[in-house]
Amino acid sequence: MATTLEELFAKATRNSHPIFAMFELTYQCNFACRHCYNPIERKNQARVGKKPVPSAAPLAFEEIVSLLDQLEEMGVLYLSLTGGEPLTHPRFWDILEAAKERGFALRIFTNGALIAPSIADRLNEIGPHCLEISIHGATDSTAEALSQVKGSHQSMLRALGYLKDRGLRVYLKCTVTRLNEGELEGIKAISDSFGFPVFFDPVITLSDDGQEYPLEMRASDEGIAKLYRSDGLNIGNSPFEWEPGELSCTVGAGTLHITPYGDVQPCIQWKQSAGNIREKPLREIWSASPILEEARRVAREMPVLIKNGTRDHAFCRHCPGLSLLRYGDPRRLEEQYLRVARIKAEVSQSEAAAKPE
Amino acid sequence: MFDPKLYSRNPDVAWRLIEGQAVLVHNREGEIEVLNELGSYLWGHAGEPLDGLAGNISQDFDVTKEQALQDSEEFYQALVASGALQPVKGK
Repeated sequence: MATTLEELFAKATRNSHPIFAMFELTYQCNFACRHCYNPIERKNQARVGKKPVPSAAPLAFEEIVSLLDQLEEMGVLYLSLTGGEPLTHPRFWDILEAAKERGFALRIFTNGALIAPSIADRLNEIGPHCLEISIHGATDSTAEALSQVKGSHQSMLRALGYLKDRGLRVYLKCTVTRLNEGELEGIKAISDSFGFPVFFDPVITLSDDGQEYPLEMRASDEGIAKLYRSDGLNIGNSPFEWEPGELSCTVGAGTLHITPYGDVQPCIQWKQSAGNIREKPLREIWSASPILEEARRVAREMPVLIKNGTRDHAFCRHCPGLSLLRYGDPRRLEEQYLRVARIKAEVSQSEAAAKPE
Repeated sequence: MFDPKLYSRNPDVAWRLIEGQAVLVHNREGEIEVLNELGSYLWGHAGEPLDGLAGNISQDFDVTKEQALQDSEEFYQALVASGALQPVKGK
Protein backbone atom coordinates (compact mmCIF):
# COMPACT_ATOMS: atom_id res chain seq x y z
CA MET A 1 0.00 0.00 0.00
CA ALA A 2 1.28 3.47 -0.81
CA THR A 3 2.55 5.51 2.09
CA THR A 4 1.57 9.15 2.27
CA LEU A 5 4.05 11.78 3.30
CA GLU A 6 2.10 12.41 6.49
CA GLU A 7 2.13 8.71 7.43
CA LEU A 8 5.83 8.53 6.76
CA PHE A 9 6.61 11.63 8.81
CA ALA A 10 4.46 10.33 11.66
CA LYS A 11 6.32 7.03 11.63
CA ALA A 12 9.66 8.84 11.53
CA THR A 13 8.63 11.05 14.42
CA ARG A 14 7.64 8.00 16.49
CA ASN A 15 11.14 6.68 15.84
CA SER A 16 12.78 10.03 16.65
CA HIS A 17 14.07 10.59 13.12
CA PRO A 18 14.59 14.35 12.86
CA ILE A 19 13.06 15.56 9.60
CA PHE A 20 13.06 19.26 10.42
CA ALA A 21 15.94 21.27 11.81
CA MET A 22 16.13 24.95 12.52
CA PHE A 23 19.44 26.74 12.71
CA GLU A 24 19.64 30.26 14.09
CA LEU A 25 22.62 31.70 12.24
CA THR A 26 22.80 34.85 14.32
CA TYR A 27 20.79 36.88 16.79
CA GLN A 28 21.81 40.10 15.03
CA CYS A 29 18.96 41.81 13.24
CA ASN A 30 18.39 44.94 11.20
CA PHE A 31 14.89 45.26 12.66
CA ALA A 32 13.90 45.76 16.29
CA CYS A 33 10.38 44.36 16.28
CA ARG A 34 8.33 45.15 19.35
CA HIS A 35 6.84 41.67 19.53
CA CYS A 36 10.08 39.79 18.83
CA TYR A 37 11.32 37.05 21.12
CA ASN A 38 14.96 37.85 20.39
CA PRO A 39 16.27 39.68 23.46
CA ILE A 40 19.58 40.73 21.92
CA GLU A 41 18.21 43.48 19.74
CA ARG A 42 16.18 45.98 21.74
CA LYS A 43 16.87 49.06 19.70
CA ASN A 44 14.74 52.05 20.70
CA GLN A 45 13.15 50.08 23.48
CA ALA A 46 13.62 49.92 27.19
CA ARG A 47 15.40 46.73 28.06
CA VAL A 48 13.67 44.47 30.51
CA GLY A 49 16.22 42.52 32.45
CA LYS A 50 19.89 42.32 31.60
CA LYS A 51 21.07 42.02 28.03
CA PRO A 52 21.93 38.35 27.61
CA VAL A 53 25.64 37.85 27.18
CA PRO A 54 26.59 34.71 25.27
CA SER A 55 29.07 32.56 27.13
CA ALA A 56 30.91 31.61 23.95
CA ALA A 57 31.65 32.88 20.47
CA PRO A 58 29.18 32.06 17.71
CA LEU A 59 29.94 28.96 15.69
CA ALA A 60 32.74 29.50 13.19
CA PHE A 61 32.13 28.60 9.57
CA GLU A 62 34.07 25.34 9.87
CA GLU A 63 31.93 24.36 12.85
CA ILE A 64 28.81 25.18 10.87
CA VAL A 65 29.96 22.96 8.01
CA SER A 66 30.51 20.15 10.50
CA LEU A 67 27.01 20.75 11.84
CA LEU A 68 25.58 20.56 8.32
CA ASP A 69 27.42 17.28 7.76
CA GLN A 70 25.93 15.88 10.95
CA LEU A 71 22.42 17.05 10.10
CA GLU A 72 22.72 15.40 6.69
CA GLU A 73 24.02 12.18 8.20
CA MET A 74 21.08 12.12 10.63
CA GLY A 75 18.64 12.37 7.75
CA VAL A 76 17.30 15.89 8.27
CA LEU A 77 15.34 16.87 5.15
CA TYR A 78 14.09 20.41 5.82
CA LEU A 79 16.61 22.87 7.19
CA SER A 80 15.42 26.33 8.20
CA LEU A 81 17.98 29.11 8.36
CA THR A 82 16.78 31.82 10.69
CA GLY A 83 17.96 34.45 13.14
CA GLY A 84 17.92 37.29 13.99
CA GLU A 85 18.11 38.16 10.35
CA PRO A 86 20.07 35.36 8.65
CA LEU A 87 21.19 37.58 5.77
CA THR A 88 23.23 39.67 8.21
CA HIS A 89 25.52 36.69 8.91
CA PRO A 90 28.90 37.47 7.29
CA ARG A 91 29.13 33.95 5.82
CA PHE A 92 25.45 33.63 4.87
CA TRP A 93 26.13 32.72 1.25
CA ASP A 94 28.83 30.21 2.09
CA ILE A 95 26.48 28.57 4.58
CA LEU A 96 23.61 28.53 2.12
CA GLU A 97 25.75 26.95 -0.59
CA ALA A 98 27.21 24.40 1.80
CA ALA A 99 23.70 23.48 2.93
CA LYS A 100 22.47 23.17 -0.66
CA GLU A 101 25.38 20.88 -1.51
CA ARG A 102 24.26 18.61 1.31
CA GLY A 103 20.84 18.13 -0.18
CA PHE A 104 18.58 19.91 2.30
CA ALA A 105 15.27 21.46 1.37
CA LEU A 106 16.15 24.94 2.57
CA ARG A 107 13.76 27.36 4.20
CA ILE A 108 15.05 30.89 4.77
CA PHE A 109 13.27 32.98 7.41
CA THR A 110 13.88 36.64 6.70
CA ASN A 111 12.33 40.07 7.03
CA GLY A 112 13.18 40.65 3.36
CA ALA A 113 14.65 44.11 3.85
CA LEU A 114 18.11 43.16 2.56
CA ILE A 115 16.85 41.46 -0.59
CA ALA A 116 17.98 43.66 -3.47
CA PRO A 117 17.79 42.45 -7.09
CA SER A 118 21.35 41.07 -6.93
CA ILE A 119 20.49 39.18 -3.73
CA ALA A 120 17.35 37.77 -5.34
CA ASP A 121 19.46 36.66 -8.30
CA ARG A 122 21.85 34.83 -6.04
CA LEU A 123 19.02 33.21 -4.11
CA ASN A 124 17.55 32.07 -7.40
CA GLU A 125 20.87 30.53 -8.47
CA ILE A 126 21.09 28.52 -5.28
CA GLY A 127 17.41 27.59 -5.26
CA PRO A 128 16.13 27.25 -1.69
CA HIS A 129 12.84 25.45 -1.17
CA CYS A 130 11.21 28.65 0.04
CA LEU A 131 11.63 31.99 1.72
CA GLU A 132 9.36 32.74 4.66
CA ILE A 133 9.00 36.46 5.07
CA SER A 134 7.47 38.38 7.94
CA ILE A 135 4.81 40.92 7.06
CA HIS A 136 3.89 43.31 9.85
CA GLY A 137 1.12 45.41 8.37
CA ALA A 138 -0.66 46.64 5.28
CA THR A 139 0.61 50.20 5.69
CA ASP A 140 4.01 51.77 6.17
CA SER A 141 3.03 53.30 9.49
CA THR A 142 1.82 50.07 11.09
CA ALA A 143 4.66 47.94 9.80
CA GLU A 144 7.21 50.52 10.90
CA ALA A 145 5.58 50.88 14.29
CA LEU A 146 6.23 47.17 14.81
CA SER A 147 9.63 46.85 13.11
CA GLN A 148 10.84 50.22 14.41
CA VAL A 149 12.70 50.75 11.17
CA LYS A 150 11.79 53.49 8.75
CA GLY A 151 11.14 52.13 5.27
CA SER A 152 10.88 48.51 6.45
CA HIS A 153 7.53 47.89 4.80
CA GLN A 154 8.53 49.29 1.42
CA SER A 155 11.81 47.38 1.38
CA MET A 156 9.90 44.17 2.15
CA LEU A 157 7.40 44.88 -0.64
CA ARG A 158 10.21 45.50 -3.10
CA ALA A 159 11.79 42.20 -2.06
CA LEU A 160 8.52 40.39 -2.73
CA GLY A 161 8.53 41.80 -6.24
CA TYR A 162 12.12 40.72 -6.91
CA LEU A 163 11.42 37.22 -5.63
CA LYS A 164 8.19 36.91 -7.59
CA ASP A 165 9.93 38.06 -10.79
CA ARG A 166 12.43 35.22 -10.37
CA GLY A 167 9.81 32.61 -9.59
CA LEU A 168 11.00 31.90 -6.05
CA ARG A 169 8.54 30.40 -3.61
CA VAL A 170 7.54 32.72 -0.77
CA TYR A 171 5.31 32.23 2.23
CA LEU A 172 4.33 35.33 4.13
CA LYS A 173 3.95 35.11 7.87
CA CYS A 174 2.12 37.61 9.99
CA THR A 175 2.11 37.70 13.75
CA VAL A 176 -1.23 39.25 14.63
CA THR A 177 -0.76 42.08 17.13
CA ARG A 178 -2.85 44.87 18.56
CA LEU A 179 -1.13 47.21 16.11
CA ASN A 180 -1.92 45.31 12.91
CA GLU A 181 -5.16 43.52 13.75
CA GLY A 182 -7.13 46.15 11.85
CA GLU A 183 -5.12 45.54 8.69
CA LEU A 184 -5.37 41.79 8.28
CA GLU A 185 -7.57 42.05 5.21
CA GLY A 186 -5.09 44.50 3.74
CA ILE A 187 -2.23 42.12 4.48
CA LYS A 188 -4.17 39.34 2.77
CA ALA A 189 -4.73 41.63 -0.22
CA ILE A 190 -0.99 42.30 -0.45
CA SER A 191 -0.21 38.60 -0.35
CA ASP A 192 -2.86 37.94 -3.01
CA SER A 193 -1.42 40.67 -5.22
CA PHE A 194 1.92 38.84 -5.28
CA GLY A 195 0.37 35.38 -5.42
CA PHE A 196 2.10 34.33 -2.21
CA PRO A 197 0.13 32.66 0.59
CA VAL A 198 0.03 34.37 3.97
CA PHE A 199 -0.28 32.63 7.31
CA PHE A 200 -1.43 34.47 10.41
CA ASP A 201 -0.40 33.54 13.92
CA PRO A 202 -2.16 35.14 16.87
CA VAL A 203 0.22 33.75 19.48
CA ILE A 204 3.11 35.93 20.63
CA THR A 205 5.98 34.32 22.40
CA LEU A 206 7.90 35.54 25.39
CA SER A 207 11.42 36.81 24.91
CA ASP A 208 14.02 34.08 24.82
CA ASP A 209 15.16 35.10 28.29
CA GLY A 210 11.65 34.65 29.65
CA GLN A 211 10.50 38.28 29.76
CA GLU A 212 6.85 38.98 29.05
CA TYR A 213 7.21 42.38 27.32
CA PRO A 214 6.35 41.02 23.82
CA LEU A 215 2.94 40.04 25.17
CA GLU A 216 2.04 43.75 25.38
CA MET A 217 1.46 43.45 21.63
CA ARG A 218 -1.26 40.79 21.93
CA ALA A 219 -4.27 41.28 19.66
CA SER A 220 -7.82 41.72 20.93
CA ASP A 221 -10.41 38.95 20.96
CA GLU A 222 -12.11 40.56 17.98
CA GLY A 223 -8.83 40.77 16.06
CA ILE A 224 -8.25 37.07 16.62
CA ALA A 225 -11.87 36.10 15.87
CA LYS A 226 -11.54 37.62 12.40
CA LEU A 227 -9.01 34.95 11.56
CA TYR A 228 -11.46 32.15 12.09
CA ARG A 229 -14.79 33.40 10.77
CA SER A 230 -15.86 31.75 7.56
CA ASP A 231 -16.58 35.18 6.06
CA GLY A 232 -13.30 36.48 7.41
CA LEU A 233 -9.78 35.39 6.67
CA ASN A 234 -10.43 31.74 7.47
CA ILE A 235 -6.77 30.90 7.69
CA GLY A 236 -5.39 27.46 7.03
CA ASN A 237 -2.22 25.75 8.11
CA SER A 238 1.11 26.55 6.53
CA PRO A 239 2.65 23.68 4.56
CA PHE A 240 4.77 22.95 7.61
CA GLU A 241 1.94 22.72 10.14
CA TRP A 242 -0.44 19.88 10.77
CA GLU A 243 -3.81 19.59 12.42
CA PRO A 244 -3.87 18.45 16.05
CA GLY A 245 -2.58 14.91 16.21
CA GLU A 246 0.66 13.07 15.96
CA LEU A 247 2.41 15.67 13.85
CA SER A 248 1.03 18.87 15.35
CA CYS A 249 4.08 19.13 17.59
CA THR A 250 7.14 17.06 16.83
CA VAL A 251 9.35 18.70 19.45
CA GLY A 252 12.52 16.76 20.17
CA ALA A 253 11.45 13.87 17.93
CA GLY A 254 10.92 15.06 14.37
CA THR A 255 12.37 18.52 15.02
CA LEU A 256 15.56 19.89 16.47
CA HIS A 257 17.02 23.33 16.89
CA ILE A 258 20.53 24.75 17.00
CA THR A 259 21.47 28.17 18.33
CA PRO A 260 24.24 30.39 16.90
CA TYR A 261 26.43 29.12 19.74
CA GLY A 262 25.97 25.44 18.99
CA ASP A 263 23.45 24.61 21.67
CA VAL A 264 20.95 21.95 20.66
CA GLN A 265 17.40 22.56 21.80
CA PRO A 266 14.23 20.48 21.36
CA CYS A 267 12.81 23.37 19.29
CA ILE A 268 13.07 27.13 18.93
CA GLN A 269 10.64 27.61 21.81
CA TRP A 270 12.00 24.98 24.19
CA LYS A 271 15.00 26.94 25.35
CA GLN A 272 16.85 24.34 27.40
CA SER A 273 20.14 23.19 25.93
CA ALA A 274 20.31 19.45 25.45
CA GLY A 275 24.03 19.74 24.76
CA ASN A 276 26.49 21.65 22.64
CA ILE A 277 27.92 20.42 19.37
CA ARG A 278 31.32 21.75 20.42
CA GLU A 279 31.35 19.19 23.19
CA LYS A 280 29.57 16.17 21.74
CA PRO A 281 28.51 14.90 18.33
CA LEU A 282 24.96 15.90 17.46
CA ARG A 283 23.84 12.30 17.16
CA GLU A 284 25.04 11.56 20.68
CA ILE A 285 23.14 14.55 22.05
CA TRP A 286 20.07 13.52 20.08
CA SER A 287 20.05 9.97 21.35
CA ALA A 288 21.09 10.48 24.97
CA SER A 289 19.81 13.82 26.21
CA PRO A 290 17.32 13.65 29.10
CA ILE A 291 15.95 17.03 27.99
CA LEU A 292 15.09 15.69 24.55
CA GLU A 293 13.62 12.57 26.12
CA GLU A 294 11.38 14.75 28.31
CA ALA A 295 10.33 16.82 25.27
CA ARG A 296 9.35 13.62 23.44
CA ARG A 297 7.37 12.44 26.44
CA VAL A 298 5.46 15.72 26.63
CA ALA A 299 4.75 15.63 22.89
CA ARG A 300 3.34 12.10 23.23
CA GLU A 301 1.17 13.20 26.16
CA MET A 302 -0.08 16.25 24.30
CA PRO A 303 -3.49 14.95 23.15
CA VAL A 304 -4.34 14.01 26.74
CA LEU A 305 -2.95 17.25 28.15
CA ILE A 306 -5.15 19.23 25.77
CA LYS A 307 -8.23 17.07 26.33
CA ASN A 308 -7.93 17.40 30.08
CA GLY A 309 -6.85 21.02 29.98
CA THR A 310 -9.80 22.76 28.36
CA ARG A 311 -13.39 22.18 27.36
CA ASP A 312 -12.43 23.80 24.05
CA HIS A 313 -9.92 21.03 23.42
CA ALA A 314 -11.15 20.42 19.87
CA PHE A 315 -9.80 23.87 18.95
CA CYS A 316 -6.74 23.96 21.13
CA ARG A 317 -3.10 23.70 20.29
CA HIS A 318 -0.31 23.48 22.78
CA CYS A 319 3.29 24.66 22.69
CA PRO A 320 5.17 22.95 25.50
CA GLY A 321 8.23 25.13 24.88
CA LEU A 322 6.26 28.32 25.41
CA SER A 323 4.64 26.84 28.52
CA LEU A 324 8.03 25.88 29.88
CA LEU A 325 9.34 29.38 29.27
CA ARG A 326 6.31 31.07 30.79
CA TYR A 327 5.33 28.75 33.63
CA GLY A 328 8.29 26.44 34.05
CA ASP A 329 5.92 23.59 33.21
CA PRO A 330 5.76 22.22 29.65
CA ARG A 331 2.54 20.34 30.44
CA ARG A 332 0.52 23.36 31.49
CA LEU A 333 -1.55 24.82 28.64
CA GLU A 334 -0.50 28.37 27.90
CA GLU A 335 -2.96 31.21 28.31
CA GLN A 336 -2.78 32.44 24.71
CA TYR A 337 -3.52 29.02 23.22
CA LEU A 338 -6.45 28.64 25.62
CA ARG A 339 -7.68 32.05 24.59
CA VAL A 340 -7.43 31.27 20.88
CA ALA A 341 -9.25 27.97 21.46
CA ARG A 342 -12.05 29.79 23.31
CA ILE A 343 -12.39 32.34 20.52
CA LYS A 344 -12.41 29.62 17.85
CA ALA A 345 -15.07 27.71 19.80
CA GLU A 346 -17.19 30.86 20.10
CA VAL A 347 -16.89 31.57 16.39
CA SER A 348 -17.79 27.98 15.59
CA GLN A 349 -20.82 28.02 17.90
CA SER A 350 -22.13 31.35 16.65
CA GLU A 351 -21.78 30.27 13.03
CA ALA A 352 -23.52 26.96 13.73
CA ALA A 353 -26.37 28.80 15.47
CA ALA A 354 -26.75 31.21 12.55
CA LYS A 355 -27.09 28.42 9.96
CA PRO A 356 -30.63 28.01 8.64
CA GLU A 357 -32.17 24.63 9.60
CA MET B 1 17.38 1.59 -23.79
CA PHE B 2 17.89 3.82 -20.76
CA ASP B 3 21.56 4.54 -20.14
CA PRO B 4 22.03 5.38 -16.45
CA LYS B 5 25.44 6.90 -17.11
CA LEU B 6 23.78 9.74 -18.97
CA TYR B 7 21.71 10.89 -15.99
CA SER B 8 22.39 12.11 -12.48
CA ARG B 9 20.26 13.26 -9.57
CA ASN B 10 19.06 16.82 -10.02
CA PRO B 11 20.77 18.98 -7.36
CA ASP B 12 17.58 21.03 -7.12
CA VAL B 13 15.86 17.99 -5.69
CA ALA B 14 16.42 17.60 -1.95
CA TRP B 15 16.05 14.06 -0.74
CA ARG B 16 16.47 11.83 2.27
CA LEU B 17 15.83 8.24 3.08
CA ILE B 18 13.14 8.33 5.77
CA GLU B 19 12.08 5.07 7.36
CA GLY B 20 13.45 3.21 4.36
CA GLN B 21 11.63 5.34 1.79
CA ALA B 22 13.14 8.09 -0.30
CA VAL B 23 11.37 11.43 -0.02
CA LEU B 24 12.15 13.78 -2.90
CA VAL B 25 11.45 17.50 -2.61
CA HIS B 26 11.56 19.35 -5.91
CA ASN B 27 12.75 22.68 -4.58
CA ARG B 28 11.89 24.72 -7.66
CA GLU B 29 8.49 23.23 -8.39
CA GLY B 30 7.46 22.45 -4.82
CA GLU B 31 6.42 18.89 -5.67
CA ILE B 32 7.13 16.11 -3.21
CA GLU B 33 7.50 12.47 -4.17
CA VAL B 34 7.49 9.54 -1.76
CA LEU B 35 9.08 6.49 -3.39
CA ASN B 36 8.21 2.94 -2.43
CA GLU B 37 10.80 0.41 -1.33
CA LEU B 38 11.81 -0.58 -4.85
CA GLY B 39 11.82 2.99 -6.09
CA SER B 40 13.91 4.06 -3.11
CA TYR B 41 16.43 1.33 -3.91
CA LEU B 42 16.67 2.48 -7.51
CA TRP B 43 16.91 6.14 -6.53
CA GLY B 44 19.68 5.31 -4.08
CA HIS B 45 21.59 3.56 -6.88
CA ALA B 46 20.86 6.04 -9.67
CA GLY B 47 23.71 6.16 -12.14
CA GLU B 48 24.72 2.54 -11.61
CA PRO B 49 24.50 -0.06 -14.43
CA LEU B 50 20.97 -1.35 -14.86
CA ASP B 51 22.03 -4.92 -15.37
CA GLY B 52 23.49 -5.26 -11.91
CA LEU B 53 20.58 -3.49 -10.27
CA ALA B 54 18.06 -5.70 -12.09
CA GLY B 55 19.94 -8.78 -10.91
CA ASN B 56 19.70 -7.64 -7.29
CA ILE B 57 16.04 -6.71 -7.65
CA SER B 58 15.14 -10.07 -9.17
CA GLN B 59 16.66 -11.77 -6.13
CA ASP B 60 15.19 -9.48 -3.48
CA PHE B 61 11.73 -8.90 -4.95
CA ASP B 62 11.01 -12.29 -6.50
CA VAL B 63 10.65 -11.15 -10.10
CA THR B 64 12.48 -12.26 -13.23
CA LYS B 65 15.53 -10.29 -14.22
CA GLU B 66 13.85 -9.29 -17.47
CA GLN B 67 10.88 -7.91 -15.57
CA ALA B 68 13.18 -6.11 -13.12
CA LEU B 69 15.08 -4.58 -16.02
CA GLN B 70 11.91 -3.35 -17.67
CA ASP B 71 10.50 -1.97 -14.41
CA SER B 72 13.76 -0.20 -13.60
CA GLU B 73 13.90 1.40 -17.01
CA GLU B 74 10.33 2.61 -16.74
CA PHE B 75 10.97 3.95 -13.26
CA TYR B 76 14.06 5.89 -14.30
CA GLN B 77 12.26 7.27 -17.34
CA ALA B 78 9.52 8.52 -15.03
CA LEU B 79 12.15 10.22 -12.84
CA VAL B 80 13.61 11.87 -15.92
CA ALA B 81 10.12 13.06 -16.84
CA SER B 82 9.54 14.46 -13.35
CA GLY B 83 12.92 16.22 -13.41
CA ALA B 84 14.34 14.28 -10.48
CA LEU B 85 16.98 12.88 -12.82
CA GLN B 86 18.67 15.14 -15.33
CA PRO B 87 21.07 14.63 -18.19
CA VAL B 88 24.72 14.68 -17.15
CA LYS B 89 26.31 17.85 -18.47
CA GLY B 90 28.70 17.28 -21.36
CA LYS B 91 27.28 13.86 -22.29
